[in-house]
Amino acid sequence: MVSRALVLCLAAVAAAPVARAQAPAPLAAERAAFADWLATAPTSPFAAVAQQPIGSGLALGAAAGPGLEGLEKARVSVEAGRVVLDGLGTPRPLPRFRPTRLGRYLLVPGGTAATPVLTVFDSSRARKAPRWYPHDPALEFVGALTPPVQASSRRLLTPDGIEVEATDAGTVLVPFAGVATRLRVMRIPDPATGESELEVFFRDSTNAGETYPAGRFVALVPEGGGKYRLDFNRSRNPFCAYSSAYACPLPWQGNVLPGHVRAGEQYVKD
Amino acid sequence: MLATTVALALVAIVPDPSGSWRGVLDLAGGPLRFEVAIAREAGGLRAELCNAGECAPAGPVRLIGDSLVIDLTDYAATIAARVSGDSLVGAYSNVGNRGPRLIPFRAARGRWKATALPAAFAGQWDATLVTDGRASPRIFVFSEGRRGAEGAVISNTGDYGRFHGMVAGDSVAFSHFDGSFVYMFTARLDGDTLRGTFHAGLRTQTPFTAVRSTGRAHLKAPTEMTTADTIEPFRFAFPDLDGRLVAHDDPQFRGRVVVVDVFGTWCSTCHYAAPILESFQREYGPRGFTVVGLAYEVTGDTAVDGVLVRRYREKFGLTFPLLLAGMGTAELAAPTLPQLNGFTAFPTTIFLGRDGRVRRVHAGFYGPATGAMHRQQVAEFRAVIESLLRE
Repeated sequence: MVSRALVLCLAAVAAAPVARAQAPAPLAAERAAFADWLATAPTSPFAAVAQQPIGSGLALGAAAGPGLEGLEKARVSVEAGRVVLDGLGTPRPLPRFRPTRLGRYLLVPGGTAATPVLTVFDSSRARKAPRWYPHDPALEFVGALTPPVQASSRRLLTPDGIEVEATDAGTVLVPFAGVATRLRVMRIPDPATGESELEVFFRDSTNAGETYPAGRFVALVPEGGGKYRLDFNRSRNPFCAYSSAYACPLPWQGNVLPGHVRAGEQYVKD
Repeated sequence: MLATTVALALVAIVPDPSGSWRGVLDLAGGPLRFEVAIAREAGGLRAELCNAGECAPAGPVRLIGDSLVIDLTDYAATIAARVSGDSLVGAYSNVGNRGPRLIPFRAARGRWKATALPAAFAGQWDATLVTDGRASPRIFVFSEGRRGAEGAVISNTGDYGRFHGMVAGDSVAFSHFDGSFVYMFTARLDGDTLRGTFHAGLRTQTPFTAVRSTGRAHLKAPTEMTTADTIEPFRFAFPDLDGRLVAHDDPQFRGRVVVVDVFGTWCSTCHYAAPILESFQREYGPRGFTVVGLAYEVTGDTAVDGVLVRRYREKFGLTFPLLLAGMGTAELAAPTLPQLNGFTAFPTTIFLGRDGRVRRVHAGFYGPATGAMHRQQVAEFRAVIESLLRE
């Protein structure tokens, strides 16, 4: 049973509503670093112009491929485990998870070794500053993670559009808008680091206009003693909210909260 | 006059950070302790990261305003912290494809006080980590080192480096941070059983239980992880650091006992194996023995990888040939070594007889932190080489 956390804080917030807007320092630092990355990084998701599985080979200039201008002869394929760029003189390997410049584009092979994916970035693409709801401590919950009845896994998309094998980590019960809603938690690996996150991909009434329509991700933070913190102020968009180059995860069945979860990242439309 | 004033003001803002710092990464599961050593060299300030007294170069230190930034050059990561008197407060940041990962960092001047390891913990433990119902074996080794309690964690593919230990009553916390890998385990002794959590990164946590090793095999034997074609001579052909293609039948290998070291400069366990292999090269080279290193690197670009491998060769004073073989994951490396089955670990050490055929494949490497396991493994390597030289 998940219980509301920070009862004392909630009382304090009600007495001093100004504090509601101020995110705690660690969360503020995370947001600042993320906003800076979105605004300045050459591989910011706003700069993504294509993301496709490499499969049996990708023609970079083809309409069926990424369709990159000036790269009609270029092709990316996997040879003996390496991602190789050819068609532009001597074939050259493309390092996994690292950008390689090609004209105005940056190519980043990623995904898993079994299903490599190429993401292409164009730094000249316009970017928008992310926007967050004011911090709301009432939307933090602490409680237990109920393990699944049976161990299982399934393939799903990560926030950055990569298909991975994720394991079912169980469920959490969230008391929100007068209803206790059970949300599925999946352990999502990061192929680049070997670490994993306990993620909840959820939808709520804000998806209709204020937040990204497909839903948002929020990671569980372990608190010790078998307890986890689910802080909707840390909700964030899948990368398809920043660029249509990314595949968008399908909403997870049943992970729908009644009412408006006005916390975390909003959707900044065109 | 103005310049002098500004210079004085800057000196006043950031005191000289040279010296030792007790560092902490505040993970979701508690504080990970390590040490930062900053020294002034001819080119400026440089930092090392230390675990249980074992230090490794981290990168240059920049002073910006009232802050200090350590560039962890090998990992596209930084430690940035505001200097406030004798303390540092900031964050470790590692930028991945999903954006920056921040872990709160703090440090105070000085070194961690060494804590003695109680006899109740000392020795080898068989641990079982359980993630979402799936069990995975590890061995923990706890010992008293030159900086107090220290530990090692060993998996089927080698060890994770040296861990700094803190002991308080019946509880322990062992930690290791090398600029990229963020590992800690916390545990409490409950009767004869250690119960605890293994922490990786900011918030990946895996519960475990551990019992004293009985001598029965808990991990897969390193020689059972990977098998090889033993009928045909072991084949390879990769460019050396000068771009010359070097193959298994090159005159420098013909008729000699050869150890093929499948390694990566990014692989910390490989760094423990390198000096051992070099010592074998020097000792047995005159008797018809050669090591050859096959480097699997981060970029797969020979120009970039060549720089990394040259630096590795100089660091360990390696005199045996190093070839640029490919990209550094087991999945990507395996297709380039088609005569191996079940290739999973860096390093993997392949022993070839004078006829070029595989006699033994050893997956992973137990570093010095594993104590007796390390010594036993080095002795086994030596025995295999001497046996092959006698054939």
